[in-house]
Amino acid sequence: MTLPNRWASQLIALAAWLGAAILLGVWFGGIGWWLSGALAFYVAHTLRNLALLDRVLDGHKRVPLFVTRGLWAEIFARVDKIRAKARNRKKKYHRLLREVRESTGALSDGGIILNSEHEILWFNPAATRLLGLDPTIDIGNRLDNLLRHPDFAAYLAAPTGEGITIPSPKEEAGWLTVQIIPYGQDQRLAIARDITREIQLERTRRDFVANASHELRSPLTVISGYLDTLGDDEEMPEGWRAPVGEMRRQADRMTQILRDLIELTRLESAERKAPHEFVDVGGMLKLIAKEFQAAGTGPAVELTLATDVALVGSESELHSIFYNLVNNAVRFTPPAGTVRIEWRTEGDAAVFEVVDTGIGIAPEQIPRITERFYRVDPGRSRATGGTGLGLAIVKHALQRHEGTLNIQSREGKGSAFSCRFPAERLVHRAGAARAV
Amino acid sequence: MEVEDLGHHISKRFNEDLEHVRNSVLAMGGLVEEQLDRAIKALSEANSELGLQVAEDDIKVNRMEVSIDEECSRILATRAPTASDLRLVIATLKTITDLERIGDEAEKIGVLAARLASVERPSTNYRELRNLARHVKNMVHGALNAFARLDTKGALEVVKADDAVDEEYESIYRQGITFMMEDPRTITRIMDMTWLARALERIGDHAKNICEYVIFMVHGKDVRYTGIKNIEAEVAQATRRQETRS
Repeated sequence: MTLPNRWASQLIALAAWLGAAILLGVWFGGIGWWLSGALAFYVAHTLRNLALLDRVLDGHKRVPLFVTRGLWAEIFARVDKIRAKARNRKKKYHRLLREVRESTGALSDGGIILNSEHEILWFNPAATRLLGLDPTIDIGNRLDNLLRHPDFAAYLAAPTGEGITIPSPKEEAGWLTVQIIPYGQDQRLAIARDITREIQLERTRRDFVANASHELRSPLTVISGYLDTLGDDEEMPEGWRAPVGEMRRQADRMTQILRDLIELTRLESAERKAPHEFVDVGGMLKLIAKEFQAAGTGPAVELTLATDVALVGSESELHSIFYNLVNNAVRFTPPAGTVRIEWRTEGDAAVFEVVDTGIGIAPEQIPRITERFYRVDPGRSRATGGTGLGLAIVKHALQRHEGTLNIQSREGKGSAFSCRFPAERLVHRAGAARAV
Repeated sequence: MEVEDLGHHISKRFNEDLEHVRNSVLAMGGLVEEQLDRAIKALSEANSELGLQVAEDDIKVNRMEVSIDEECSRILATRAPTASDLRLVIATLKTITDLERIGDEAEKIGVLAARLASVERPSTNYRELRNLARHVKNMVHGALNAFARLDTKGALEVVKADDAVDEEYESIYRQGITFMMEDPRTITRIMDMTWLARALERIGDHAKNICEYVIFMVHGKDVRYTGIKNIEAEVAQATRRQETRS
């Protein structure tokens, strides 16, 4: 091992001191005194430098140094260098921090950093504006203690999906979405966004559709009425018979579309949860199946009731769900095919499933078919008399029953639509009498 | 603040228990706020379905009260808390009673709103009631915020706001009497309206009570029935004491 230069010079200096002391001791006698004198001097010198170092580390910028070379000089030089580096780094972080603070301050969305206990660690000015958080007293408070909406508390406990919409705690009639993004070790970032305008636009749209449908219905009733009378008229010239028949069919279709639109807007604007009425699913499905079997023109309709479980929900909405799904299956299945309807339990959930041997749906279409007026094949759908709203109604009605819709399909082979209802919505027969 | 001493208990479980009780009260508060919000919405939108739904959901508030009550009893029995911990438990017990009452009043408002939804509405769509409702809602919100933040200044603001609410109730009441004298056919409706205003005014009182418990919990002073001037002085004094201590 080789010693660095500074150490070598230091050791040489020490050796020189001791050597000089011994020489002087031998020369003048009293070698012990000379040696201890030299050591004392060395110790004093070292102590003084240590004291200086201490002052330097304490933060004094300028300390008078007597040494310009050797170990101590180098130590001081290195301390200086480290401090200069630290100073620069600090300056850089300061600048960075200021930039971060300025940019988060300019954000229009509220940002809040939470720890694993939902306690607030930091938030930006927009959070103060949107949520009414107070920067002087709210650090360390739990966010769900200040944002107390029950839905938000539930969401915070188990954040999933795209965030949650809650009424603004500050603005009358204001709305916010809050999204929780976990990051790092057990930390969470909550992003709050003002969506009052979006909600208002959505409401305007809904109101417009509802009003327009209602307004269109009365004139349409008059037109249908006259067309019915005309169609039944024996004396109508032969040439008019076909056009009047077509007009009647189209008027019926328009009535149907309006009825579906009104139903859909009602579902959208109603409370999120369906009421708790007792609904005998088995009986309802028997009636629906019978209706389609009686038509006699379509594919064979088979019904399997594997369970006698009933549901609590809205009778009319559940009927809409089942009827629309069966109706779709029948419309898109050739007369030679079959439509199987099944009601069964899976674990503690109940499943309604319609399987057909119809034309099927291409995989890329499946995510879109529950949109309003989305048609896989416009010509065909119209020819079979659909309104384009059936599946949208199914989706909304199911949501109100906490149900989920699952669609599986292969083009040319057929499709399977299944609705899964959670355990809370089920009534088992033994308890049925009590629930009624 | 004194309740921050909570952070230094030897028993970690005890800490967690107290913290949990506090959070439960605020969760219950959130539920009550939502109930009130929906009841008022049922009134302003003439939505009888929503009104009845609110009445039905009151059972959730009651259940929460029972469960928090049990938890407080358990803490009292097993931990024998003292000083600020004891004050926290006592304030909690009282607060949940008032919250439960607010829930009951919200239920009442829901039922009345459902009834008013099916009769003729005045052209103002009950503007005075909606105004009063907004004030009361803000009071409940402020009271719960004060509870969450242990913020006695915020609590004081809410206590002060109660006078305005009382005045508003008074004027709705008088206005109702005038209407009834003018046209006896409106009596049923005005009676319902008055009951509704009364329920709102009671909610304001309960919110004020909660704020007084907050002052008790933080400063250890019982300021009930002492008048607003006195409460103000107490809070100012206690805050000064705390500032000099820290």
